[in-house]
Amino acid sequence: MLERLWEMVFKADFLFVMIRITAPILFAALGAVIAEKAGVCNIGLEGTMMISALFGFLIAYWTQSWIIGVLGAVAVGVLLGLMMGFFGIKLKTDIILAGIAVNMLGGGGTIFLLYMFTGMRGNTGNLVTPNILIPTVNIPLISKIPVLGEIVSGHSVLTYVAFLFVFLMWVLLYKTSLGLNIRAVGESPNAASSVGVSVNKMKYIALAISGAMAGFGGAFMSMYYAQGWNSGMVAGRGFIALAAQAMGRGEPVGAMLSSLLFGFAQALATKASALGYSSFLVSMIPYAFTIIGLVIYAWSTVNKVKKHRKLKIRE
Amino acid sequence: MNKFWQNLKSILVKDRRMMMFSIIRGLAAILIALGVGAIFIFLTIYINTDDKSQTFSKGLEALKYMLIGPLFTTKAGVVSFNTMNFYQILAAMIPTIFTGLAVCVMFSANQFNLAGEGVCMTGGFVAALCGIYLSTGTALDPFICIIVAAVVGGVIMLIPAFLKVKIGASEMVTTLMLNYVLMYLILHFLNFNFADRSKGSTQTYAFAESARIPALVEGGSKLNWGFVVALVFVVIIALFMFRTRWGYSIRMIGINQSFSQYSGMKVGSAIVLSQVIGGVLSGIGGGIEVLGRYSTFLWKELPGYGWTGVTIAILAKNNPIFVPFAALFMAYLNKGCMLMSTYCDIPSEMIDIIQAAIFLFFAAEQFLSKYRQKLVVKSAKEELAHIAKGGAENA
Repeated sequence: MLERLWEMVFKADFLFVMIRITAPILFAALGAVIAEKAGVCNIGLEGTMMISALFGFLIAYWTQSWIIGVLGAVAVGVLLGLMMGFFGIKLKTDIILAGIAVNMLGGGGTIFLLYMFTGMRGNTGNLVTPNILIPTVNIPLISKIPVLGEIVSGHSVLTYVAFLFVFLMWVLLYKTSLGLNIRAVGESPNAASSVGVSVNKMKYIALAISGAMAGFGGAFMSMYYAQGWNSGMVAGRGFIALAAQAMGRGEPVGAMLSSLLFGFAQALATKASALGYSSFLVSMIPYAFTIIGLVIYAWSTVNKVKKHRKLKIRE
Repeated sequence: MNKFWQNLKSILVKDRRMMMFSIIRGLAAILIALGVGAIFIFLTIYINTDDKSQTFSKGLEALKYMLIGPLFTTKAGVVSFNTMNFYQILAAMIPTIFTGLAVCVMFSANQFNLAGEGVCMTGGFVAALCGIYLSTGTALDPFICIIVAAVVGGVIMLIPAFLKVKIGASEMVTTLMLNYVLMYLILHFLNFNFADRSKGSTQTYAFAESARIPALVEGGSKLNWGFVVALVFVVIIALFMFRTRWGYSIRMIGINQSFSQYSGMKVGSAIVLSQVIGGVLSGIGGGIEVLGRYSTFLWKELPGYGWTGVTIAILAKNNPIFVPFAALFMAYLNKGCMLMSTYCDIPSEMIDIIQAAIFLFFAAEQFLSKYRQKLVVKSAKEELAHIAKGGAENA
């Protein structure tokens, strides 16, 4: 059975699925990256994804336009980021507790909100129409190339946007003054404020961008991946994104690579369940994988620090 | 001597003022949260009923069920105390007191360990298995089951604790993942190894009659001796946190880890200890809940007690003594939301919105800070006046 699983892994459609699964995690991981750069741990990504997934879908349904839906989801994400900022920075609620509060809104609160707006319970079932789903794109020339075309072409618009954002996030963080200020605030708030950078403002901006990223991730989930909203939809992807950020050393490219690893684990899980492995053990793979990944990462950093210290002592 | 008493009095007055402030602030936070809930209730009714003129009366009825419904029932205009509901509320407090205590201990050491959820479920599962397969048929059974659940809970928490202390892996992320891992592992074993195939739904065999925790009151309210055990644990944990060296170092680490380290405390051990205690408590909570409420193990998802535990710890300000009161409040609110959902067709998930609002305002250090500033200034002025007066007398 394992051999058949390996055979499946090296096929084009597996890699296609892997990229598809990676995209929402990547969005959220980028959100975790920018928040962490500003010295904020945004544990509310999970809830933000749930809430923006719901509103993105509802707005798209009301307007019958997927673009407005995506923009709505992003707007909701930004608002939630700013809300966390208001409570965390202005009212000095522990930012982790503020994040847990957002997650509670995302968990049960969304079920309530869905009922409030539509009278439906738990999922949006029959509201889906082709208009409100994010369209897929066939890239003209590349789609003709045999294997590569099958893997790279034919994804949703947002999938490409996700990978584009990796580059944009890098530009933002390392090539703009805003990014420099954000990083300065995260590394040393006192130093930043002594040269006239407003620490709170930078944190607000970082949280807003972080929320926007989670908003994109949420829109991707409800308007493409699951084709509709349901209450268990995000299933810890926001938390996995936090792990991806940590494993990616807090850098956009690193976060992308570790998101791809989690995408791989999850794609493997779907394939394995098709082969008849216990669906529960298979569902466990991505989460167990995350813990193992974190351990390996943290362990390697600790070792590096030790080696570094030894070298220093010898000198 | 007289001066000493005067000083003491002024200190007490100042403290009372600050205490009053904390109480007022807490109440204000809860009121805001309930207000937010009320707004959402009215909105829901307004959007989902055709006859908009009834919004107000229907909303009031829903609020009545939520706020006074849990304890009082009105039948034909006569208000009566509902004993059954009262017992049910007390019964619902049992697992959340344990998870609340667990979170108190862990958060006191500044460890954002969120695995209470998964460990609670594991505790319930392990206790149920012991009740089925290790039953001795004596009154010792519940104790054996609960002790095994406690040990398993503690051992599980060693994982995030050691990862944190030894290699610095964030306990928050590892425990969030651990919840899912534990849930799926339990579901796997439940479905493939321990399921009672003769039943329609997935559940284990019934555990031995002797393993069940005896009821405290008759009549199906599920209020069992676990409630008494929970209150005993409140006292034990309070004594541990405030009267032992380890409790002191756990609290000090939470306040200032570097200071604790430089003053010679064993920071690593205390961090591990706090999380192991959290695991033990969560495990006991899950075990008692399963053995006291059900006759088989039938949870198919995370029970949610871990998250309620976080809310309770925040309401109790990480002080074990306040945990039962916070648990009572949450159980009451939960019952109210259930009633509202049954009679007024408003989803019981309302409680999550209220909880979120409580989180945000209750934990907000700067909430009503201007008012506190005024109080501080007032106290300081009085103190100065007092000193000036004392100085004049001495001269």
